[in-house]
Amino acid sequence: MDPDGLDDVLDLSKDRSQNQGVYIYQPAKAGKASGERPSKRRKVSMNKDSIEKLDGPGFVPLLNGDESAECVQLRYDTYKQLWSEQEHKIQSILEDVDAGVLTDVLSFVRETSPQTSNGCIPTALVTVGSNVSSLSRLLSRLNDQLKSTNEGGVIVLESGDAPNLKTSLKNIIRAAVTNTEGNDGYQRFLTDRSGPRVLGYDLDLLHDYVQRRGTKKLVLALRDSEAFDPGLLTDLFHYSLLLGISTSVELFEGRLPRSCVSLLQGKHFEVQEAGNCVDRIYEALQTSSDGRIWVGRNITSTLFEKATDYFQTPEAFSRMVKYACMSHFFANPLAVLLGNPHKSILSQGQFCEAIRNLPSFRMFCEDLVETGSINEARSMIEDDEYLLRAASDHVDAGQQAMRHIFRAVLLIHTCLQHTHVTKKTTISDLSVRALSGELIDSPLVEDMLATVRTLDSEKLGEVLDTLPKTLSDDSALPGIQADLKALLEANPDSVPLRSEYNINSSVMKTTVVQQRVLLTKGTANLPEQDLQYTEIIDRLVGALHEYFIETLVRPQELFMNEAFVFDLRNPLKETFTPRPRFAIERALASPFDYLISTTAATAGARISAKQPAAAILYQLYLESGALVNVHDLWQAFYGVYESDQGKKVDDRVVMSLFYSALSDMKMFGMVKTSRKKTDHLAKSAWMGL
Amino acid sequence: MQPADIARSLSAQWPCRDVQARQLASLLHPQLPNPSTVVVHGVSATCKSTIVRGVLAALEAPHAVVRSTECITGRHLLTKILWNTLEAFGQKNEWEKFGKGRCEHVSTLVVLLEECLAARPAEKQGNFVLVLDEIDRQREAPPTLLSALARLGEIIPSLCVVLVLSPTPRPLFLQNASVPHISFPPYTRKEMINILMASPAPTIEGLPEEIISRVYPHFVSTIYDALVGPTAGSVPNFRSICERLWPQFVAPVVQGEVPPGNTEWDFARLLVKNRALFRHQGESALVHRIVPEDSSAASNTFRKPLSTGVARSGLPSLPYFSTLILTSAYVASHTPQRLDTIFFSKFSSSSLSARNKRAHHRRRLKVLSQAQAEEMRQAAKDDPSTPNKKGKRTKTRITKSTLSSAFATSSATTSAMGGGSGITGPSTILTARPFPLERLLAIYHAIDPNPPENPIRTGAVADQIYAELATLRRLRLVVPASGHHGGLGTTASGNTSADAGEKWCVNVSGDWIGELAKGIGVEVGEWLAGGLD
Repeated sequence: MDPDGLDDVLDLSKDRSQNQGVYIYQPAKAGKASGERPSKRRKVSMNKDSIEKLDGPGFVPLLNGDESAECVQLRYDTYKQLWSEQEHKIQSILEDVDAGVLTDVLSFVRETSPQTSNGCIPTALVTVGSNVSSLSRLLSRLNDQLKSTNEGGVIVLESGDAPNLKTSLKNIIRAAVTNTEGNDGYQRFLTDRSGPRVLGYDLDLLHDYVQRRGTKKLVLALRDSEAFDPGLLTDLFHYSLLLGISTSVELFEGRLPRSCVSLLQGKHFEVQEAGNCVDRIYEALQTSSDGRIWVGRNITSTLFEKATDYFQTPEAFSRMVKYACMSHFFANPLAVLLGNPHKSILSQGQFCEAIRNLPSFRMFCEDLVETGSINEARSMIEDDEYLLRAASDHVDAGQQAMRHIFRAVLLIHTCLQHTHVTKKTTISDLSVRALSGELIDSPLVEDMLATVRTLDSEKLGEVLDTLPKTLSDDSALPGIQADLKALLEANPDSVPLRSEYNINSSVMKTTVVQQRVLLTKGTANLPEQDLQYTEIIDRLVGALHEYFIETLVRPQELFMNEAFVFDLRNPLKETFTPRPRFAIERALASPFDYLISTTAATAGARISAKQPAAAILYQLYLESGALVNVHDLWQAFYGVYESDQGKKVDDRVVMSLFYSALSDMKMFGMVKTSRKKTDHLAKSAWMGL
Repeated sequence: MQPADIARSLSAQWPCRDVQARQLASLLHPQLPNPSTVVVHGVSATCKSTIVRGVLAALEAPHAVVRSTECITGRHLLTKILWNTLEAFGQKNEWEKFGKGRCEHVSTLVVLLEECLAARPAEKQGNFVLVLDEIDRQREAPPTLLSALARLGEIIPSLCVVLVLSPTPRPLFLQNASVPHISFPPYTRKEMINILMASPAPTIEGLPEEIISRVYPHFVSTIYDALVGPTAGSVPNFRSICERLWPQFVAPVVQGEVPPGNTEWDFARLLVKNRALFRHQGESALVHRIVPEDSSAASNTFRKPLSTGVARSGLPSLPYFSTLILTSAYVASHTPQRLDTIFFSKFSSSSLSARNKRAHHRRRLKVLSQAQAEEMRQAAKDDPSTPNKKGKRTKTRITKSTLSSAFATSSATTSAMGGGSGITGPSTILTARPFPLERLLAIYHAIDPNPPENPIRTGAVADQIYAELATLRRLRLVVPASGHHGGLGTTASGNTSADAGEKWCVNVSGDWIGELAKGIGVEVGEWLAGGLD
């Protein structure tokens, strides 16, 4: 190996000054005196131009770069507009979720004082569960409220701010002052005081401040109370008020010493669970009556897998949806159709080709051929103008169909809630099924219809009342409703009416024939009004069934569904589950997966001297047991170079490579020096876990 | 004013402290020569600070009081002493003359205080008393602080330092023989009851005056005998219990219930009626909870006294993946590492012999533990003077044998008192032991109830585990254990960063995890020694 190349390998100074384990010592230049200060780093403010440049659409032209600039811009604008609508919805849901707790906490803060709770510190324990982010939302809104009414403020303290008592007190005081006065105000407050200069952690400062401002309520919020050192909390609890707890009150209380618990008295608040929030967000995004774009089945299941299996905040959920939506507009040229483009700006040739390559296009054309409209199919394939018109028509129609699907989903959901057939089925479950076109055949719907049959008239009335109003326009429902009403008015005495499907109406008959008992089920003789009622029920169930068959189509079969349903699992999943460890292991175990190899021979060989030293060492390390003798490792390492280059190997260079590689391994946390045996390394990481 | 007068005037408000008040008054009297240092000591809630303040106020002696618990560092304390002294003389605006209001060392304090006392206005001449309250609880105090402060009075002639301490001081702890000590002993039964009777009974509407005067004294002494005396409760404690239980105690009278035998309500009948009150309500009244129980619920409980206190509030549920990780962390913490191959090895996990082997180990550890527990009980019986053998057993150094035996005990308690012990879990000698991260990952793969069909094709989950583990750590369910101390249950909670090679430790114990794990289909007992039997 040539020494120049080795120098390159060993010239580590460029990018790894942080964890440099091995270096070649070079005496410092005599130019600078050792005591001299390093020159201060200049603060670089970003140029305005570059900021503006970043603000522009980051979208690139698609279709091999042939897409026109207008299309790109249109895609970007449509995305912006759509997402801002969605985001607005999400925000309002989040606020709505918090509102109840906020008012509770606020009134608690206003009403309590040490006097009202026997001299203890009034404490609100806010249980947030896995819905971690909601607390910060809650706190900032609480702060706004208190500040606007000039009652005080909220000091938020996180566990990182409180390594020990002194620092935490300092942080508390600083936060309290800067909350209303700003950072400069804090400095002024410190320096402008009359009297001797006080220590930064003296609570007298806060006392002064509070008296000067006439503050009545100061809320100290400890955001993640579990993460605090229990001992420290003991000291801190001289006036704290609001604790965010994620697990449970008992677990929290158990960790505090008794003397500390006895200082506190308070109330317990619960914030809604994240799962509930996520469901509501999803519902709002998908089922709104003016939706233009929908999340597909794959993404939905990915999203909900993530939300149920992992800790996830509603914000994270909406970020994922946002990412999916953004990638749809970023990478799908068809998305431009959602912006109602003018015909002229669609660059015709490429764009039409793209449409013709869609699976839904092929399906559509096949259907056309089967139904006998061959001319139409031909013009779809040949006439660009015709195709574009058809495409945008079908986008509209498809959007309408999607809206109908979700309306039906909502209907099923409300019915299910009323009938209590099985355990709770969420909108998301139903949506996944609907999006894959399986809902109509699913047992859920059948069960639901079966239970609707057995309902008595009172319950049925309730169900009919709660059905979405929009539904009644286009189905037989109003007629049924009117008939039911008429029937009920005609028979005011015999309410509730029961249909023949109801279990009360069927009668069990026992007959003894030749010492055997025969059970026969028969319909009891029903009064006239019940028979009429049964007929109404039958009509209702029939109407519902028809309605479901009509609306619950497979979204994949809609022509142009690729434009308004985004359903690519892949960039989403990869982006939100990064795998750094896997990548590092792979890079070390087979470095030429990542590096560009100059010689063809390197591809197959397992270990070779062409690989980076760290990779060689790592592969040797994989072959060893839990304890490795360093000398053995060195021998093997040397052997690799020796077999490659014969007798010409420079010991010292290889040794330095070895050390460098070993220090890299140490930096990764893969080896430790063992205390069990001298000259041995302990393995602390295994591949493929 | 004579010391006796002062004591008399104080005893109206703070009864049963005559002796101490007289002693203090005569020691601190402005017209008499004062001792340079006075030590006041006694356990908490014995009225020390109040009496000292009361005496000083009654004597109208110039004084300053500094509460040590309000001072965060030693320097803070010294600065505060200086300021409070200045304030007592009304010289607060002349702070620049005295070391610019700064005081960083006791020697500086001596000089500054001397200057201060010399410069005070003429009408405030005379003895000056400096009270250092709870000085034994000063944070970051240098070891010589106490004796140095005690010397202040010797160096500065007209100064008298009063040190207020909670624990009984060691002999000669100030390196000075002639310091007068005033002891505030805990109140006796009679005194406690007297103090409580001095204040009127809590008012309840609709309760006849005559019943109060008849029943309340008995009630108070019963409360003392039943709850306060045995637990060494303090006066405020006693008072709050009385206030809480009194309305419930007399509720039958207020609600107009007819006493048995158509007689009148008297103490004995009320007591019989409220037997359960003392058992259930009383014991919970002793423990202060952050979230007080609903008063409505409390008033209901006396009717159906068997409903036991607070129902356990719903425990949090975690997402599936996190639960699995927490479970593996728990198992990793509670299984000795040397048994890993037997419990978790996939090579023979399904074979009969492997299962037998596992069962054998669980059983063996259980037998061991029972023997151990028996031994402990025996030891406790033999030597009642030192009932707590635990102190001897918690060795910092863990040998293999102590590990296995102690572990056996812990697992035995897990299985034996599994159901009843609630969320705190069984308290064991050997709590969760730290484990390296790689072991957690390996155990995760071993106990995964839904292993991927093709483990080679599916990507590694380690990275996802790290992310979830971070959240679990934030919730303090799993904490990084400092490996250097090798400590059991040292939860190095302050540090927020952990190296890759660092060890971790599960921070909740007991049945909660078991229940969680059952929810996702993992039987924790199968992996724990002594678990399933």
